[in-house]
Amino acid sequence: MNIKKMNKGLDFLRGKYGAMQGEITLKDGHCYVGATPLLPGRMERKIVELKKMTENGTLEGVSTLRFAAFAPKGTDMEAMLSKELDLAAYLGASDVVRVMAVASGNAINVLAKLANDVNVSVEIGAGLPKGEIGYDRHEIIAKRGVACDQTVDTHTPHASIRCYGAKGAEEFTDVDTELFGLSYDEIWNVRAAFALLQKRADAKVWKAAWGKATKAAKLAFAADKAKAAKTIAVKKGLDTNQSIKVAEVR
Amino acid sequence: MKAVKIAMMGMTHGHTRKYYQTLLDNQKLDWVASCAQDADAKKTYELYKTGVPCYLDPEEMYKKHPDIEAVVIASANDRHFEQMKWCAEKGIHILSMKIPTFDMKEYDEMIAMCDKAGIVCQIELEMHYNSVVRRLKKLIADGAIGKIKSFQATNITLSPVWAFPWQGDPKASFGKVEHLKKGDPRYKGGALCDHPHIFDLIRHLTGSSFDYIYAEVAPNLRDGLKVEDMLMAVGKMKDGTAFLFDPSWSRLEEKLKVPGPGWERFPKRMEVNVTITGDKGMITCDCFGPNVYHNGAPNDRYTVQYTYFDEWVGLIDEFVDCIRNHKTPLINLKWHKETIQAMLGCYESIQSGKIAKVGGK
Repeated sequence: MNIKKMNKGLDFLRGKYGAMQGEITLKDGHCYVGATPLLPGRMERKIVELKKMTENGTLEGVSTLRFAAFAPKGTDMEAMLSKELDLAAYLGASDVVRVMAVASGNAINVLAKLANDVNVSVEIGAGLPKGEIGYDRHEIIAKRGVACDQTVDTHTPHASIRCYGAKGAEEFTDVDTELFGLSYDEIWNVRAAFALLQKRADAKVWKAAWGKATKAAKLAFAADKAKAAKTIAVKKGLDTNQSIKVAEVR
Repeated sequence: MKAVKIAMMGMTHGHTRKYYQTLLDNQKLDWVASCAQDADAKKTYELYKTGVPCYLDPEEMYKKHPDIEAVVIASANDRHFEQMKWCAEKGIHILSMKIPTFDMKEYDEMIAMCDKAGIVCQIELEMHYNSVVRRLKKLIADGAIGKIKSFQATNITLSPVWAFPWQGDPKASFGKVEHLKKGDPRYKGGALCDHPHIFDLIRHLTGSSFDYIYAEVAPNLRDGLKVEDMLMAVGKMKDGTAFLFDPSWSRLEEKLKVPGPGWERFPKRMEVNVTITGDKGMITCDCFGPNVYHNGAPNDRYTVQYTYFDEWVGLIDEFVDCIRNHKTPLINLKWHKETIQAMLGCYESIQSGKIAKVGGK
């Protein structure tokens, strides 16, 4: 990630729409504004739309979440899993209370339970060739309706553009006009920082949510070693799975 | 920079509601008023609870808001001329819907009155601010596929006529009541009038002009519709590029009075797909994908939930920039004239059964 370019994008949004001052920093591969960890996954438009569907009556009676994420060799699988478990809690609107996992080499398969009894499966793989972008999938299965960020009858994401030129086949998916030129991960980190600086996202909520997600991911790896599910006690208090107002565009 | 005091007029165009969030959020704008065509349009407008006052008489709106600097004309095509005239006489900048008029005499008068008034008149062709189109332009400009030889594009949607009845009214949509061709009971003014984008995009990407065009209408999908809903066109640009366009209303819809969830019967209510063959490669492009998908409420049908919609943000940014910095919009009346002429060429070809030279040249 190019932090300089990202902060330039953040400054552009702040100047255009108004927001507090602040900048993105990178620590141990994760982006922060001040001491607050960013949750870019929650800002991805596809996740925003899925979250809306769980709240506006499009889906009724969520039962199971089926998630997957694949990245190039060498990617930190615990960080990948933390992100997916945070999204599970967010889209399932309930905290993770139990995790079981089986790991093998550069893959780990996780079965988790939310406090509201929803099941979550997460397939994590860090075996793609270096230089690949990677991809993920988020499917919500409900009593009324199934929603997914991949279309039916496919198993890899659709790209907006396929170009067959001198370099062979290339794919492009651009998702943000205002931040055109930044990578997918860069864009959602900038949008997350902007949401924090506009106070649409609550720093306390994000700190607590990321704390829960990283703890659950750590326990998943421990569960694999122990060959036994790990339980997480739910603490009463801050709701860390409330939706974020995405107001600035669209 | 001082915020531009902006208003909306008409409120009967299908794109009207798409401006609301951008007009409210963009700090370079101060959305002060709206003026609806009639009580029904006002009632629909009020459903969206923008908090911006809505009038039924433009003069009353102007009297209460004499500081209006710009107007989005969001009305039926046959109202554009009088509304542009109203704006030009007051020196108010104009953001026009995608078809200013199909009457070329009126069109030239629009150009003259905007020039005389020294106002900005931008045409709403929002695809230019779509991030996928931006990438497409960059790839073509960078020579990724060499010189364009062939261009195929769809601008296919559901029909908005049930929510916006003027789009099925030949006079309101096309500007006059003319049969499509001899012996055909249908009139000009349907799907073609709703879909100028691909006629515009090819001009930008090739840098060339239309030479000739040939079009055919197919049997309508919707019973009782007075205007065409299915047609296709082929033709050639002056640089030799061959093209094939599908600007149909080929996706069926529920007859909703107000657009909303469950409008579509086919999963995806709008597609702009482009395939371009060059002498060094080819590109295939889906300007409105990927998205998210569901089969939940209200109809439990498989449905595309659109996910990336930035177009109106960039469009409005350009409009404000043109007003404050005295620039000419990318899509201005003069540029857009040939796009309208190419669409008229389609109707001419349908009527004659022959190719039509675009612009009558």
